[in-house]
Amino acid sequence: MRLPRFFAKKRGHRRTGAREWGAFGDGLFHGMLLLGGLFFGALLATGVAAPEWRINHDYIESTGTILAKGLARSTREDPPGTVAETWQPRLRVRYTTVDGVREAWTRGSAAQTTTDRESALRGLASWKLGSQSKCWYDPAAPDTVVLERGYNWWLWLLALLLPGALVLIGGSGLVRALRSWGRSEECRAASTGLAELLDPLAHPPPTSPGHPAVPSWDDLVNSPGTILKYRLPIESAEHWTLVGFGLFALLWNAVLVVLAVGAGLDLMGGRIDWWLFALLGPFLVIGIGGIVLFVRSLFLATVVGPTQVEISDHPLVPGGQYDVLLAQGGTGVFRRLQMSLELEEQATFRQGTDTRTERVTIWCRPLVDCRDVSPAPESRFETRTSFGIPADAMHSFTSPHNAVQWRLVVRGVTDRRPAFVRVFPVVIFPQDPFPSAATAPRRSDAEAVR
Amino acid sequence: MSDLQNRAGLNRDGQERVGASPQVDVQFDRPARRYQPGDRLAVRYRIDDCDGDRIHAIEHSVVWYTEGKGEEDLGVHFFQRVTDRSLRSSRVVAGDFAASLPRSPLSYEGLIVKVRWCVRVRVFFDGSRDFVSEHVFEMGDVPPARLPPPEA
Repeated sequence: MRLPRFFAKKRGHRRTGAREWGAFGDGLFHGMLLLGGLFFGALLATGVAAPEWRINHDYIESTGTILAKGLARSTREDPPGTVAETWQPRLRVRYTTVDGVREAWTRGSAAQTTTDRESALRGLASWKLGSQSKCWYDPAAPDTVVLERGYNWWLWLLALLLPGALVLIGGSGLVRALRSWGRSEECRAASTGLAELLDPLAHPPPTSPGHPAVPSWDDLVNSPGTILKYRLPIESAEHWTLVGFGLFALLWNAVLVVLAVGAGLDLMGGRIDWWLFALLGPFLVIGIGGIVLFVRSLFLATVVGPTQVEISDHPLVPGGQYDVLLAQGGTGVFRRLQMSLELEEQATFRQGTDTRTERVTIWCRPLVDCRDVSPAPESRFETRTSFGIPADAMHSFTSPHNAVQWRLVVRGVTDRRPAFVRVFPVVIFPQDPFPSAATAPRRSDAEAVR
Repeated sequence: MSDLQNRAGLNRDGQERVGASPQVDVQFDRPARRYQPGDRLAVRYRIDDCDGDRIHAIEHSVVWYTEGKGEEDLGVHFFQRVTDRSLRSSRVVAGDFAASLPRSPLSYEGLIVKVRWCVRVRVFFDGSRDFVSEHVFEMGDVPPARLPPPEA
């Protein structure tokens, strides 16, 4: 039997890792995650969940008299060189079991353990010496007694959530690796269902029904236009930049506030943590910078005014004629306002540990080119034109790592503000080989008039 | 292109096989190998020169895949696995299959994205070895992309 090679040749003479070894490593990694999840799950189940479950289900109820109070102290080195203390309130109880009367210190629970001695003492204060209370003892070890029952939901959540996540990720990855082992790439690509369930992140982009690899266009015809049939949604990089700046400013300053409150409380308590104060300075500068960037981006995004594009029909087909309306709101003078129909290729690839996307515009047809546009304060600037899609044009195409996208692109140069670019995607279908009433290309309004 | 890949003899990852390779001859029902969406594609294939290796399964498929700068994406339109006992004893294996082509995607020769259609015949030998033969055909009439002339 021959072992698979470590390297294989891919198209384009690029060397990549061999798929068999990759699948082996993938399976090994997920198998280790699964084992880790099972191991920690078993540890947490036996150390936390099972004892608590037994107290609530197996322990026998009795009545106990409180004889004494005490604090159990545990010390451990954490971190090395530093001793950390924890305290646990304990009560000495006299109670009756089936074997007779017993005396024992109550068993402490993880929920009652605290690093604050005062807090542990307060926990003891509610119990009165000589008083009687319900208690529960372990029938298998009658000297083990508790005065309180119930579940610590936080610990149960931790006990289930962390190992559960490891088991889920590891198990699904292992099943995926085992399912793909020894199967051809065509066989794997042809089988759906469980494969999609096991690898939800690998879902291909949504496509149009009956048109494989043509992007879905439902979201592009949600809004009716004021003059033409549809108002196209905007897909602008500057909006994502704005959201990014906003999120960064919000999260960074939230961290800053938490640090500042901690430093303020220290100061009020008469302590000064110089490291914390030294950290607060640069954090404050970056936080203010984030807010300034966000406000500036928000100003630039809103000051230009809204751009709207309406189209007479959608989706488009090669050879079709369509009307398009460009509407620009805002104040001031637009030195230039252009709209063009563009075809962009988009390829996503991995370079080292990074995922990069390259875009190339390979076809561009200018549709509108206006100079010195001044929208009136109460209305918007509008211009309407017609355009045709070449009969041999490539249709819109999308797959997980590649795309061919058609879009209407509006570029503006204003008098005082920075230039802007706004993108309105459209979908072009291939010519339909099975024309029917439901799927036949619809004629545009402009075509119908002629 | 398809014939080059067939002669080279590719294993599961498009990797060249060392040593003898079977010869896979594929005949399309249209010699020009040009189809339109919705057309019926019919293929006959013949596998020779297995050099005593026992075939235990054959997969034939009609697929499209992307080439270019991005990671390769693959779409399977038609897939069939043949595991016949008669394959084991035959020195020459022949078969045929047919499929109706879908509406999309069309074959496309872009600058950084290319879409290709092909017929693949994958032969599985005893001992977990396999050999794939790939035969490209064209779907649609989209001309190759050209970069727009630079603006003056």
